[in-house]
Amino acid sequence: MEQQPIVELKGLSKTIGKKKIIDNLNLQLYPGQITGFLGPNGAGKTTTIRMMAGLMKPSSGEVIVEGQTVTEHFEETMSKVGVIVENPEMYKYMSGWKNLLHFARMNKTITKERITEVVDQVGMQNRIHEKVSSYSLGMRQRLGLAQALLHRPKFLILDEPTNGLDPAGIREFRTYLRKISEEDGVSVFVSSHMLSEIELMCDRIAIIQNGQLIDIREMNQKEQAHYYIEAHPVEQTQELLISHNLELEVSGTGFIAKVEQEQIPSIVKALIDANLQVFAVQPFRKTLEDQFLEMTGGGQIAESHKK
Amino acid sequence: MLNLIRNEWMKLWQKKATWIIVVMLVAILIGVGGITKWVQSTNELPPNQPSWEENQAENQAFLTAQLADPNIDATSKKQLEKELAISEYRLDKNVEPMDPSGREQSVYDSHVMLSLVILFSVIVAASIVASEFSQGTIKMLLSRPVKRWKILTSKYLTTLLFAFVLTIIAFVSTMIASYLFYDASGGSILDYQNGSVVEVSYWGRVLVLYALQFVGVIIYTTFAFMIGSVFRSSSLAIGLSIFLLFVGPNIVFFLSKYEFVKYIFFTHTDLTGYITGNLFVPGMTWTLSLVVLTVYMLLFLFISFWSFTKRDVTS
Repeated sequence: MEQQPIVELKGLSKTIGKKKIIDNLNLQLYPGQITGFLGPNGAGKTTTIRMMAGLMKPSSGEVIVEGQTVTEHFEETMSKVGVIVENPEMYKYMSGWKNLLHFARMNKTITKERITEVVDQVGMQNRIHEKVSSYSLGMRQRLGLAQALLHRPKFLILDEPTNGLDPAGIREFRTYLRKISEEDGVSVFVSSHMLSEIELMCDRIAIIQNGQLIDIREMNQKEQAHYYIEAHPVEQTQELLISHNLELEVSGTGFIAKVEQEQIPSIVKALIDANLQVFAVQPFRKTLEDQFLEMTGGGQIAESHKK
Repeated sequence: MLNLIRNEWMKLWQKKATWIIVVMLVAILIGVGGITKWVQSTNELPPNQPSWEENQAENQAFLTAQLADPNIDATSKKQLEKELAISEYRLDKNVEPMDPSGREQSVYDSHVMLSLVILFSVIVAASIVASEFSQGTIKMLLSRPVKRWKILTSKYLTTLLFAFVLTIIAFVSTMIASYLFYDASGGSILDYQNGSVVEVSYWGRVLVLYALQFVGVIIYTTFAFMIGSVFRSSSLAIGLSIFLLFVGPNIVFFLSKYEFVKYIFFTHTDLTGYITGNLFVPGMTWTLSLVVLTVYMLLFLFISFWSFTKRDVTS
């Protein structure tokens, strides 16, 4: 991609006591792109996000927003960033409107009209003047989103954003994120432990483990194709597929073969010519969950990190 | 900055606790006025009370006797001589003192009630930073395009403004109580300045006493503000500040014979002693008090700002 990144993490590290929580993180985030941030518990997601949101200072390295570092140009950079850190904690004793007014006053450019506009966008117009303590978790999430969008940020950081939303709310939220990233070129950075959510929402995922970035991958990239092939008798099928130089993996009564799409017709033909009974030939895609667990080695990570 | 202060002001008054504080302050001040009056009226005084002239004469005899004591120290001697001079002046020029059960005396004494204002201001000062941490809103507050020192300054100024408003409310409440429960009695205040007795303006003196008490309010408020921003926990900050508020003066009292108490800030929080003559630590001067208070104030503010701007938000 030739585009300039909106946000860049350069050699970002954080040491607390003697423990290296974050170790030399390098990541670029581009406009119009939704990047998922995945990692097991204790991998350093929250610490990374807090450094990006200006709540923690990096021990070394920089968070750069449009060429300016957050540490040196705090006000300039933060006016381009919208943040929802974990559950959006609002002033419960005030109405939603007063909460928004409060945050709006901390930014130079926000008018009352803009607040009304954002309230409409997140569908809160009916209850905005009620106290936040009377809101459900889902409504607080909406209000949290509203406060993050007030100043039309170029970069949006979301930590576990769909926590507490119902399925319809999650879907609406996802559509909305897509919309602002595509239409307004907002770069979105979402951390979540809900893998299926990330899979549906993101263009790209960054995976962190023990404070280190272990992989960045494009979600829509042509991954190496796998196909599920099931034909009887099994032994003959296996021989035939191996004779086509395919890597096989047994899966139930069939095989998962690493094969390019172009090869499929000839393989099907070969199977039929060999008088085998073909039951299924279908593209097979590993879920993100499988890939994630494969990469991070399952649940042992969180424990090994504690040592 | 103005917007930040408006924010803090809005948050403060949206809390029920703030209104409870105001209501309590007014209720206590008016209540105390009423109760004092009621206690006074139940104490039946024997008939033939001495006139103020007789009281002054008796007072003079007492002061003269004390001055005759050879072991008297210089500070006490000066104070006694001053009182004696004022008393003589009253009899010579026929200047009546304030009636102790009159309205003027009640208003004059009301400045001591500012210790209630200190108590309530300390609660607000201790929680204005700490509550953001305990509510979790600090993450929202600090991820805005506003530098941390500006946010802390707005909170500090809001606390002082609140303390000032409480002081005004306290003054108005005691005025109402005094006018409700006491009758005007006349009388005037005398002071001993540069070797001669002068008559001082009543309202001027009341104002000066309030202003000096307000200095104490500022010191304690700043102290509580520091504790709140360092420890980030409302309950700890309120508890510790109020504990010190009550214990501080006692510490000073118990240690008053040691030289170092002069350099503890509790010793200097009640500056009205310079006017009323109730200084219980010998050898104190205006300069010493001002220097000590300034140094402590700068220290408190430095610690608050350093802690708030440098430390990570991890809660």
